[in-house]
Amino acid sequence: MNDHSRALTRAAPILLIIGLAIAWQAPDVGWLRLSDAESKRAELMTSALDALPDQPRVLIGYDPDLGTYAEIRQTARALLADLLARDGRLAFVSLTAEGRALASAELARLGRGEANPTRLLDVGFIPGAEAGLVDLTRDIRAGQLDDGAFTREVELEGIGAFDAIVVIGGNDLGPRSWVEQVMPRIGDVPLLSVTPIVLLPEVEPYLAGEQLAAGLTTPRDGAAYRESLELGNLSRLVESTEPRPLPLLLGMLVAVAVLGQALGARML
Amino acid sequence: MRRPTLTALVVIIGLLLLADTLVVNAALSQLAGVAVDAAILVAAGAALAGVAALGVRRVQDLWRQRGDPIGAVFVIAGMAAMLAAGLRPGSAGTTDPAVQWLVAALLVPIGATLFGLLFVTTLGAARRALATRTREGILLVAGALVTTVLLLPLSGSAGAGLADAATWSLAFPIGAVFRGLLIGIALLSAVYAARVLLGIRAADE
Repeated sequence: MNDHSRALTRAAPILLIIGLAIAWQAPDVGWLRLSDAESKRAELMTSALDALPDQPRVLIGYDPDLGTYAEIRQTARALLADLLARDGRLAFVSLTAEGRALASAELARLGRGEANPTRLLDVGFIPGAEAGLVDLTRDIRAGQLDDGAFTREVELEGIGAFDAIVVIGGNDLGPRSWVEQVMPRIGDVPLLSVTPIVLLPEVEPYLAGEQLAAGLTTPRDGAAYRESLELGNLSRLVESTEPRPLPLLLGMLVAVAVLGQALGARML
Repeated sequence: MRRPTLTALVVIIGLLLLADTLVVNAALSQLAGVAVDAAILVAAGAALAGVAALGVRRVQDLWRQRGDPIGAVFVIAGMAAMLAAGLRPGSAGTTDPAVQWLVAALLVPIGATLFGLLFVTTLGAARRALATRTREGILLVAGALVTTVLLLPLSGSAGAGLADAATWSLAFPIGAVFRGLLIGIALLSAVYAARVLLGIRAADE
């Protein structure tokens, strides 16, 4: 490698960041689109939510991981806002430390967005991984000191209080663990999920087998679902800007170019 | 070395949990609940011990002037800040505003930034994987290349074609391999669990 190419290699990350920043500021172009207009997964999610009773009580298993959270964050926030717009009451539980940190941040964000606090319940962190999930089906200790009606219902009825379970996945304890450990122990409660694309091969069989009632598994599905929402004044609870497809495309093309060049150099 | 007490314990708890799943009985349910609670306590204890070991290790690093002193200071300061925020007199614990601020304003953004840097480091790792000239490395990078192309956010017929190709690849090649792996792992787990439950061990164990 000569001096010129060595300097280029060293400067490449900075050049990439500058390129991404320029692409972020550039106007949208018509031939780039993140959402799939006919996303069956998004339609399935909307149908599953429409089938819930009025003012549904929903258990949110919040266990994304920091590495992939950026991919699903907007969709997860949109789903939470959608559930609140349906007068839903949401109880958050996490089974991983990372998930707990993100759930705590999301609850604080919902608080700042003036979401109705009587519709939110923080069940907190449950250690023990799969054993924790099993314990959740036996008893839920809300751990909140206020005497809200939702807290009382959950403490009294346990997991039977909920009309649906939503798993925001990404960590080890994702939809698969919920299907394996929770679904056989409870009645006919729909299980919905939002997961990053890296979990798609794992989640796909459960969606095909209808053990998961609905799942948003790709950025396209998530974007299509977000486009379909009409949240009214609760739109303040979702992010004001959608992901820009141009910087995404640029990053992906850089990845393709780097991988392709390296692969070509080895193969040829 | 054989450990009959451990095997017996595993057999009893395994059968207890299995029976509790299949039979509705209040006494059985309470017994199974005790076993599950014990597992949770052990897991929580292990997590706390892990965190404590990390703290002790970093303090030792500083004391003996080895490793990364700046990293050690940051780890200890972070742990101290979180403990002080969550355990100080009058604190509401994990729901305390100071804890929530530490998590939302520091932990999550810093963690996300570090993972964002993975874009660059992953590409570097892929290039290094190819440098080893192994078939696995080439296959891995070729798979990543194809997957990235299939996920390009294009609209119109090109985008629809890529989405269809992605769906096909997921349903057939990726799906078949991944499901095969899952089924294989499940079978091995079942066989291993049965061997533990029946107290069967290999000759060299």
